[in-house]
Amino acid sequence: MPQMVVDSSTLILLAKCSLLQIVCDLFDVIVPKAVNIEVASEDLVKNYPDAALISDLTSKGAIKVQSPDSSDRLTLPLSLHKGEEDALLMAVKLGRLLFATDDGKAIKAARFFKVPFIVTPKIVVELFRLQKISFKKARESLEKLGKIGRYSPEIIADALVSLMEEKNGKTNNHKDTGRPIK
Amino acid sequence: MAKPTTIRIPEDLLNEIDQFVQESKLDRSAYLREVLRKGFSLDKQDRLLLKYVRKELSQMEVCKELKWDPWKFLTQLKARNLYLNVELEDWLDASELPL
Repeated sequence: MPQMVVDSSTLILLAKCSLLQIVCDLFDVIVPKAVNIEVASEDLVKNYPDAALISDLTSKGAIKVQSPDSSDRLTLPLSLHKGEEDALLMAVKLGRLLFATDDGKAIKAARFFKVPFIVTPKIVVELFRLQKISFKKARESLEKLGKIGRYSPEIIADALVSLMEEKNGKTNNHKDTGRPIK
Repeated sequence: MAKPTTIRIPEDLLNEIDQFVQESKLDRSAYLREVLRKGFSLDKQDRLLLKYVRKELSQMEVCKELKWDPWKFLTQLKARNLYLNVELEDWLDASELPL
């Protein structure tokens, strides 16, 4: 099964879109211990259903909690919080695994280390492309990412266009941006 | 223990505060302390969120500074009509799922 390192921002957004379980079924989802504390501590589990879901998936082993080796440290070009830093470190050390994050600063660091990254709207469109979720589910998830997840209207609009194009069987999503044909 | 400090306040603002304190039968010092505490808290939040938008701070760095959890962070972005600091370029450059 392919692996993916996920930080707190993406874990929460996937939980909000009810997509976390599907992603866990398709991937070995790896989460650093620090991230698990950030999103699934005892207090958070009591207050937020998303945190309870994350905690449940962790206890079932669907989300694997790991810690980077203490000798493994990166010299980051910018500061990050412990969870974000550990997630990036693990993605680097485990062979440049896919790093799922919805934080602009963490993406900046991922670019620096040439770590492939993915953001939640892209996960949604990809799950539809791979026929793992319905069009309706994908569209609803993108709308949630805009309303609850605070994704910019610009990105959500572009993601909805990509989704429509996937639905219509097009392969070149962004002619005007010069993005290569997949 | 509270420590004394001195600041200069414009006369018109001070007059307005004094009048309000008198009319509301408030303790002037206690009221000023409370206003300072509230104002500082809001200003700190605004400034740190601005740093987040500029990608000078990450989401969890802001959460740590403000003692927020990530859910409160999203609620506060909504309350201020702010968005995640992910840019269109990030969305366009994101990888595909390796399935």
